[in-house]
Amino acid sequence: MRYKNILHNYEGCIKIYERKQIGSGIWFSKVTDHRFKVNRIAVLIYTDINDSSLSRSDYAVVPYILVDSCEKYPDYSALSLRFSELYGATLSDNTSFDGDSRCSSLTVTSIDDRFALEGESVEQESCELLLECLLHPLTENGVFSERTTKLMQAELLDSIDSVINDKRSYASHRGAELAYEGEPWQYSIQGTRPEAEKITAQSAYEAYRKMLKNGRIEIMAVGCSDFVKTEETLTEAFSQLERGEIFEPSVTPSVLKSELCSFTETMSMQQAIVRMYFKAPDMSDRYAGALLSTILGGMTTSRFFMNIREKQSLCYYCSCFSNRFKRTITAYAGVEAQNVQKTMDAVLAEFNDVCENGVSEDELARAKLEIINNAKSVYDSVHAIASWYVSQLMDERVLTIEEYIAEVEKVTPERIQAACRQYKPDTFYTLTPEVENDA
Amino acid sequence: MMLEEITSSRLGEKCYKYTHSSGVTVCLCPMESYSTVNAQFAVKFGSEDCSYRINDGETISIPDGTAHYLEHKLFESPEKDAFALFAETGASCNAVTSYDSTCYYFTCADNFEKNLEILLDFVQHPHFTPENVEKERGIISQEITMYLDNPSWRVLMELLKGVYRENPIKTDIAGSVESIAEITDKILYDVYDAFYAPSNMYISIAGNFDIDKAIEVCERFLKKRQPVKVESIAPVEPYEVVCHRTEMKMPVAKPQFAAGFKRPDANGQESLDEYIYLNMIMDIIFGDTSEFFVRMRDSGAINDAFKVTVFSGRGYTLPFVNGESDDPDAVLEEMKKEIRKFKEKLPDKGLFERIKKMNYGYVVRGYNNTESVSQYMLDMALLGVSPYAMAESVADATYEEMCRRLMSIDEENSCISIIYPI
Repeated sequence: MRYKNILHNYEGCIKIYERKQIGSGIWFSKVTDHRFKVNRIAVLIYTDINDSSLSRSDYAVVPYILVDSCEKYPDYSALSLRFSELYGATLSDNTSFDGDSRCSSLTVTSIDDRFALEGESVEQESCELLLECLLHPLTENGVFSERTTKLMQAELLDSIDSVINDKRSYASHRGAELAYEGEPWQYSIQGTRPEAEKITAQSAYEAYRKMLKNGRIEIMAVGCSDFVKTEETLTEAFSQLERGEIFEPSVTPSVLKSELCSFTETMSMQQAIVRMYFKAPDMSDRYAGALLSTILGGMTTSRFFMNIREKQSLCYYCSCFSNRFKRTITAYAGVEAQNVQKTMDAVLAEFNDVCENGVSEDELARAKLEIINNAKSVYDSVHAIASWYVSQLMDERVLTIEEYIAEVEKVTPERIQAACRQYKPDTFYTLTPEVENDA
Repeated sequence: MMLEEITSSRLGEKCYKYTHSSGVTVCLCPMESYSTVNAQFAVKFGSEDCSYRINDGETISIPDGTAHYLEHKLFESPEKDAFALFAETGASCNAVTSYDSTCYYFTCADNFEKNLEILLDFVQHPHFTPENVEKERGIISQEITMYLDNPSWRVLMELLKGVYRENPIKTDIAGSVESIAEITDKILYDVYDAFYAPSNMYISIAGNFDIDKAIEVCERFLKKRQPVKVESIAPVEPYEVVCHRTEMKMPVAKPQFAAGFKRPDANGQESLDEYIYLNMIMDIIFGDTSEFFVRMRDSGAINDAFKVTVFSGRGYTLPFVNGESDDPDAVLEEMKKEIRKFKEKLPDKGLFERIKKMNYGYVVRGYNNTESVSQYMLDMALLGVSPYAMAESVADATYEEMCRRLMSIDEENSCISIIYPI
């Protein structure tokens, strides 16, 4: 179901979403919308996170290398200058989890040709530059350039180390290690420092070759262009690839622990950070799950905001978010160390109250409006439109925004209560200041 | 009411502007077939306005963080607060206090007129009581504490303290736990009455809305008030930085640094020109495409965290870089050398044109969604320039003017703030 050609034809302002196969395991999707002044083309490559022949760091360093230089522009300065000539077109790279898979991506964003001061073909040239970087990297002796690899290895190491800089990210990272123990999400997608230290030009190049040979490739183009020429260029370029067995991305719900895992660690800091993971591996009502999370801590009239922040003045932020694939709700707050337990009790009390007493029609209506407003906003940003479709690549059916809204509208208070009863506390992680603050 | 149509043929954009009879400046940009509307109601009152005079009277000083505290409390109402009212319409709303302004805003896909009514109403109806002001203290204290744990924020705050001796931007927007302890409901009412005067306020709306209906809501909800002469007292800032170096320790993986080159205060079009040209100059000398960046990165002296920024607002412009390095002092010395090198041998015109194109592209990309269009209109209105002044000024930037401003950079009048790992 997931891998079929789709055409969403909208009436009104936008929007034709077209998706079609352009090669073995290679799909091209586009949304044309003439309101925008930019074009955004993303190439996403899905690979197996459990590939034991290479490390996570070997894969993570590849996008770093690809956006640093290429055969035609063999150093960063030359490549950057070329992008600056294209009116500051940007080439960004990313490696992240998508479900239980690794998603490595390169994205080019450029202004539309209409706005070029000297009539240049910015879209086409940006697309070609993206392909140069992706398909013709700088190599020596059949592997990545040694110098580039070393430089990018150092960047990756700095990035791995820097997780400690932002305490909220650090808490998220450490909380995930505990909450997803034994699962793909336990460890960072970037790998560990020892893994990154072992990267070689050879190992990174092997990861790159596997990405191109076995990865599922999704191309997502959104903007004011009709992308006809882009599609031709991409189809031609990707037809040159030697493709093997194609990786099939998948996702499984996170496993609920038999006993609550509670862990506290200290650091020289001012404010404690609490992260509470709730899991419902058997939950199948994604719409009720999203609304429950919004009611609890996803809007400015949420229970956490009103009862924990506003009434008790315990914190500046106390929110939660849900993950429909992992079937988790994660609550998080920044509080004074002495209020950690009080905050955790307050979060649990809200969960328990919904389980026992349900939610009111009013708060459900507010949550629906919040979600619907956010969903409709998707239409107004190239990035949001791309994310909307990319986030559904692992679904059996790709929904339009209207179809999604219609499903949200149908949710009843009873469904919210039933959903809440399925969520159980799994992991509570606290990062708290050392007893003697080092202000 | 005189509705002025303003166009930019270069961008293919059009918007409208008028001054409401109360004195509020209103900027409107209907964006047909967009799904959302972004509306902002701003006041030219930020954390830097910490001393003022009314009708040439005595100077009144207020605690640091008052503008931000007021922003938090303005959502309060004797009945339903603004958050609850917006929740009934589905709009997402928030507010932000900066050094030179405070802005309340919403984004919605439906119920635009109702949302605009709520926005205009709550911003014009303060409700401060000793109890509700007290209740907010704990929340704001936690917000301040949260930033104390953020090295990226701390390194910038320490830089500002090192650069500015008198300018209030040396102080954190939210103040400190100690300074906000002094804030009372009376102080909030006093500053509200002084600064939230219609002639000091701006509305900016962009997106899918009916212009006549927007004007009708403004006519109905904007209140006239007896004009008050309020003067925000900006202290005279000396030319020199306070110190050339500051350092502290936090749990970070690698030393973090921010280094800035002090510039004279600027306002209006001059402030915009400073911002535009300094951005180009910083890009030429230290940006991703520069020889300096590649050389320093390749030698391991800096990494990809190295970024150039021009920090700009009413009464301040500070070009600075921030990043990570094992030896931040050496990076600053190299930066100074690089500035001297460019002053001795000016960059070639081709490089300037490439960087100009890049900056122009960034501006064009900003006219791509309702939030950023609304923000551009507001920022330009607060500066007192045309809504499209940013795009026009970038497109019209000249090599000669860039060279003139480059020559005026005093690389020795600089400060570096460093956070070392514990």
